[in-house]
Amino acid sequence: MKQLLWAEKQKLRRSKLIWITMFATIMVAVIVFAQGQFVFHGSRYVDNAGWFMTAAQSLATFFVFPAVIALFGSYMICREEQEDTMKSLRLIPVNEPKLIVAKMIITLAFSILIYLLLFLITVSVEAILHNESLSIGLVLEFLKIYFLDGVGVFLAIAPMIVLVARVKKGYWLALVFTELYSFAGLFTSMSGVLKVFYPITAVFHVSGYYDASVIQIILSGITLLLCGGIAVMLLVSFQKKHSNDNRDGFRHK
Amino acid sequence: MLKLIQAEFMKLRRRRFVWLMLSAALFMPLFALSYFQHIGETGVEPIQFYKWAAFSYTPWIILPVVLGMLCTMLLYDEHQYDVCKQLWIVPIHPMGYFFSKFAVVLFYAILFMCITACASVLAGIFSDCTIWDGSSALYLLKKCMEIGVLTAFAMLPVLAVAASQKGYILPVCVTLIYTFLGFILLMVNMYLHPLSSMTVIVMGDVPGVVLTQERNNMAALFCIGIWGVVSTAAANIALHRRT
Repeated sequence: MKQLLWAEKQKLRRSKLIWITMFATIMVAVIVFAQGQFVFHGSRYVDNAGWFMTAAQSLATFFVFPAVIALFGSYMICREEQEDTMKSLRLIPVNEPKLIVAKMIITLAFSILIYLLLFLITVSVEAILHNESLSIGLVLEFLKIYFLDGVGVFLAIAPMIVLVARVKKGYWLALVFTELYSFAGLFTSMSGVLKVFYPITAVFHVSGYYDASVIQIILSGITLLLCGGIAVMLLVSFQKKHSNDNRDGFRHK
Repeated sequence: MLKLIQAEFMKLRRRRFVWLMLSAALFMPLFALSYFQHIGETGVEPIQFYKWAAFSYTPWIILPVVLGMLCTMLLYDEHQYDVCKQLWIVPIHPMGYFFSKFAVVLFYAILFMCITACASVLAGIFSDCTIWDGSSALYLLKKCMEIGVLTAFAMLPVLAVAASQKGYILPVCVTLIYTFLGFILLMVNMYLHPLSSMTVIVMGDVPGVVLTQERNNMAALFCIGIWGVVSTAAANIALHRRT
């Protein structure tokens, strides 16, 4: 597994993907800052201390990051087929499900990293704009929210990424549906019950962005773990199918 | 040119996922249906129902994302299977190639919005949220056609980015950021981004809709036009470099 993770890291160094997603993260911060120029009751949104950090993580989660993370995960999985490197990997032989697990771990790390990058940008802007109002406690609280958002969003979309690994040509469809899935969170957040159980809004309960009771946090945590469980189950069934295919291949030979 | 467009449509027959993406058109009508049933309202004004089902997040988010993916898919697949080389040998003019792809996007956008319109009317009637009203249904269809045509033009920058790239990562990321920017600018300045300008033209005369700025259709059309012309010129340069 260690070797697989190392190999994936090396492959990413050559890819433009990291730079493009960093650009996307910076653009999200710029766009949310532009929204902060909207004047409401005589003052701009961005003039309120903490607004930028709050708005950036919620808007990014509803509109951009889940699809970007799904794109990252699905690209890492599908590129082996598209660039015809899967054949060489099979010849080594590399265990395909293990390879996907390695890619999923990298995707989790990526998910946390882009949230932390967004945190870094927003906290820097807040420090420039509202230096006096920004306490260490507030910054640490937001750091926790962003970190847990990264973990939670990964868990919420993990089944999508594994599905892409199974239906390799369907990543376009997966991207469209991940976008719909994340933005549907806007509507589920209107209902007290749905927002606890819908994975995207459940992330906000767990991260602490939404004010929630302990029960709600536990239920949301269970929802996210269930998403992770579904992804693992899909991976296991994938592994079974893979070993059956291999056995049939040998018998055929 | 017509033959090129015909060839593009014939290629679409083999692309299952392109047709499956049309199911995204049902998202907002189904959401509107469940929302109005949840709050227990019946006999809602048809326009009120259609504002939820067809005039809100479908043109702001869903249609642009779907069209962005379609643009990327149409151009990326041809790079991947090395079809472009053969097309340049025929020879096909790069701009002819670009506009034939745009024709597909335009047709797809109109089809998508027609499905949304039909689903909105049916969802309203079958759930008893609204009553059948021919003039409202026609108004919805007209507005949906406007949305389809204008959104296709507003997505020209994404089509240009997809045409200038060999991969799909950048065009997909650009689609997401471009759509998000259009949505956010609705509240800041509607005349900077083609998608928010499209909203000014389409939504400006919908009863009950209040825009954050004064309605100016000419400025909105100018915004869409400028972005479209610049994108087409950029695509022309990128495609000429490749031939």
